[in-house]
Amino acid sequence: MTTHLLHLPLIPPPSPSPWRRHHHTSAATTTITPPRTGWVQLQSQLGKAVIGSTRRSIRCMANPRRVKMVAKQIQRELSDMLLTDKVLQFAVLPEASLGADRYLSSLTTITDVQVSADLQVVKVYVSVFGDERGKEVAIAGLKSNAKYVRSELGKRIKLRLTPEVRFMEDESFERGSRVIAILDKIKNEKGSEGQTKEQLDSSAQEDDDDSWGGEDPDEGIIYVE
Amino acid sequence: MAKPIPKIGSRKNARSGSRKHLRKIPKGIIHVQASFNNTIVTVTDVRGRVISWSSAGTCGFKGTRRGTPFAAQTAAGNAIRTVADQGMQRAEVMIKGPGLGRDAALRAIRRSGILLNFIRDVTPMPHNGCRSPKKRRV
Repeated sequence: MTTHLLHLPLIPPPSPSPWRRHHHTSAATTTITPPRTGWVQLQSQLGKAVIGSTRRSIRCMANPRRVKMVAKQIQRELSDMLLTDKVLQFAVLPEASLGADRYLSSLTTITDVQVSADLQVVKVYVSVFGDERGKEVAIAGLKSNAKYVRSELGKRIKLRLTPEVRFMEDESFERGSRVIAILDKIKNEKGSEGQTKEQLDSSAQEDDDDSWGGEDPDEGIIYVE
Repeated sequence: MAKPIPKIGSRKNARSGSRKHLRKIPKGIIHVQASFNNTIVTVTDVRGRVISWSSAGTCGFKGTRRGTPFAAQTAAGNAIRTVADQGMQRAEVMIKGPGLGRDAALRAIRRSGILLNFIRDVTPMPHNGCRSPKKRRV
């Protein structure tokens, strides 16, 4: 169990993309370095030179499988909280909280949860769908309610120590979407003639109340964020 | 529920028959049910009659891969492809459930060129009804 700490990256890896999720190795990818004294003590155990003081003992490092289970459970609970908890919803979406029958202007999703190996720190990656202002409002609202989230999490999950919750913005969804949009645009530009002819032929033959005749011929309109 | 006024049109009956839907629907509703293990995308018309559906499982993903956002995106793409030929330009999206499919399917719908009118969240919320299953111990 102690060997996996050697593989700790000293530089935090870039923000994870759930696209690559199933390629994660099973070793705990902590992005938080453990307390310095613990790290040093580990090195001393392995026969290297002792650098600093050894007054603090190592906290319990959990089984990597358990770390993953806790991460999954935290993700479930946090997503559920985003859906049901009034305080969080108001923090994320200040406007349409009570009135408007859940017509949303932005949608917040928790895409990834990373737990440190000692289950003390939790990094929550949040992706917001919507415009710039909605994104800022959502992330700011979540960050300002981090303590409340931590206390709610403690009530829902029975852990010895409730981890500290940190919210970060996950941009991988947007980046991926942008890239795919550009790729689609290139693909459409290459083979666009045959496609649009086909769709224009199937325009409405019946009388409809609508004024639009058929499919928009310019398929290149991509709403790129 | 009040019955909606049937559209003026020659070959449309008010009965929901078993024949194929050949009519043009410019506006529809896209339902996205995003659970943790799967995402189901259903396209219906404004009255709620299903036109086509697709899910991550039917797109060929199996097991844990169905819950990923990429699978949600392919499912949404599949569901919309059938419908885009019928000339749907505007749609309203109803999202149900937590899960990664919410975001990914929304982005895929946006990318496909269909105008999004509204985004609604219709996750079923009990007014303190049935007892929920016991907490998972971790």
